[in-house]
Amino acid sequence: MTYTYKLLGNHTGPGIPANTPIDYVLRKEDNLMIPKDKANTDYQEYLAWVAEGNTAEEAD
Amino acid sequence: MSTLKVDGIRSNSATSDAITLASDGTCTANITNNLSNRNIIINGAMQVAQRGTSTTTNGYLIDRFRSNLGGLDQFAFTMSQSSDAPTGFRRSLKFDVTTAETGGIGSDEYAGLRYIIEAQDVAHLLHGTSAAKTFTLSFYAKAYQTGTYAVNFYVGDSARIYNATYTINQSATWEKKTITVVGDTGGSGINLDNGHGIYINWFLGSGTDYTSSSSALNQWSNYQDASWAHGQVVDITSSTNNYFQLTGVQLEVGSVATDFEHRPFGQELALCQRYCYNHEIQGSIGPYAMQYEASHKFVHDFFPVTMRAQPSYTITYNTSSPTPYYPSSTHFKAYVNSAYNATSTIYMSSAIYFAEL
Repeated sequence: MTYTYKLLGNHTGPGIPANTPIDYVLRKEDNLMIPKDKANTDYQEYLAWVAEGNTAEEAD
Repeated sequence: MSTLKVDGIRSNSATSDAITLASDGTCTANITNNLSNRNIIINGAMQVAQRGTSTTTNGYLIDRFRSNLGGLDQFAFTMSQSSDAPTGFRRSLKFDVTTAETGGIGSDEYAGLRYIIEAQDVAHLLHGTSAAKTFTLSFYAKAYQTGTYAVNFYVGDSARIYNATYTINQSATWEKKTITVVGDTGGSGINLDNGHGIYINWFLGSGTDYTSSSSALNQWSNYQDASWAHGQVVDITSSTNNYFQLTGVQLEVGSVATDFEHRPFGQELALCQRYCYNHEIQGSIGPYAMQYEASHKFVHDFFPVTMRAQPSYTITYNTSSPTPYYPSSTHFKAYVNSAYNATSTIYMSSAIYFAEL
C-alpha cells in the first residue's frame, strides 16, 4: 500500500510558544499520527517517501 | 558425611566437562535447559496478539512477528493466531493462502515471515569482532508443502547476511527445527542502540532475483539481493492448499537449542509493549482531558513500559481530537480547546501506540 501524508502546522495552545511546530505528521490513509522521531520506523518511511521526491499535503 | 573431590564431571562420550570445579570452591556448568532469560525472542509462543487475531493485510498481527511480502500481484492470505500448536504450546502463527499468485511466484517477488531483534538486545553477540558469539535459533513449523525452506539472518548496521535452510519432511505435521549460526567476525558489527539489530526472515517463497546467489550457505557474507532468500525452494504462493505455521521461536547464545523458555504472560506482554501498546479501554471511556487553564484541557496517557521510541498512534475520542504535544516514549499528551465550565467531557475512546522495528 502506498501512503500519503499531511503536515499539521503549528501549536495554538496557551502557554506554548508561538510558531512551535506540531511534532507529528499524519499518514492519511489510516489516520496514523507519526512523531518526528528518527528512531520511529513510520517516520523513517515518511522521510524515505520525501526523499523520493514526494511532498506532504500542507497543514490546514 | 563424605566429600567427592574431583576437578570435573563429564559424559563418557563427551570431549569436555559438563561441570568444571575450581580451586576456590566454585564451579561452572554447561546447563542446557531451564535457565531463565536466555530466549532473546519476545512472544515466541505467539500468545500476545494486541492488534487482533486475524488479518489479511501485510504487516504485524501477533506481537513482534509480521508477514513480509514483496512484489506479489494476485496473491492474498489470511494471517491468524491459531490454537493449533505442537505439544507444549497453545498458540501458533498461521499464514494461510487464500488467492494463489497466477503462474506461481515471479522472479522479483517473495513472501515470508519476519522478526526483528532490537540492536541493543544482541549487541552482546559482539559481531564484527574476533570474540563474536555463536547463537542458535529453534522453532516449530508446520506446513502443507514439504521441501526446503530458507531462513536468513540480516544485520542492517553492517549489511551482513547469513543464509540457512531447513526441510519440512512431512506435510501437516509439527516439526522442530534448529539452526546454529557461528558469530560473525567480519563486518562492522551491531550498534548498541534501539535500532534494527538482527532480522530473522523465514521465507515461504521467492523469485530467482533473491535466490540466485552463488555463495555457500551457512556463512556470513556481505548483503546482496541475490542472497536475500538464498536456498528457498518451496513456493507457498502456488496454491490455496498451502499454509505455514510457526511457534516456539527461540534464539539463544551458544550452539545448543535448549528447551523453549516459557515466560509468564504478564512478563511477555510487558516485553511486547515496548513495541506496541494497545490501551484496552473499558466501555470506550478512557483517560479524560483535564483542565490546565481557563480555556484548555490536557489529556495524558502513560505507557506501562517505556517504548522503544516515540510511538506512532491511532487514538479516537468521544469528540474533537486534541492536538498532540511533546511526544515521548513514556507517555502521550495532547491539549484541546475547552472552557473550564464546559458542560461536556472529553475522553479517549481507544488508543493504540506503535514503536515497532
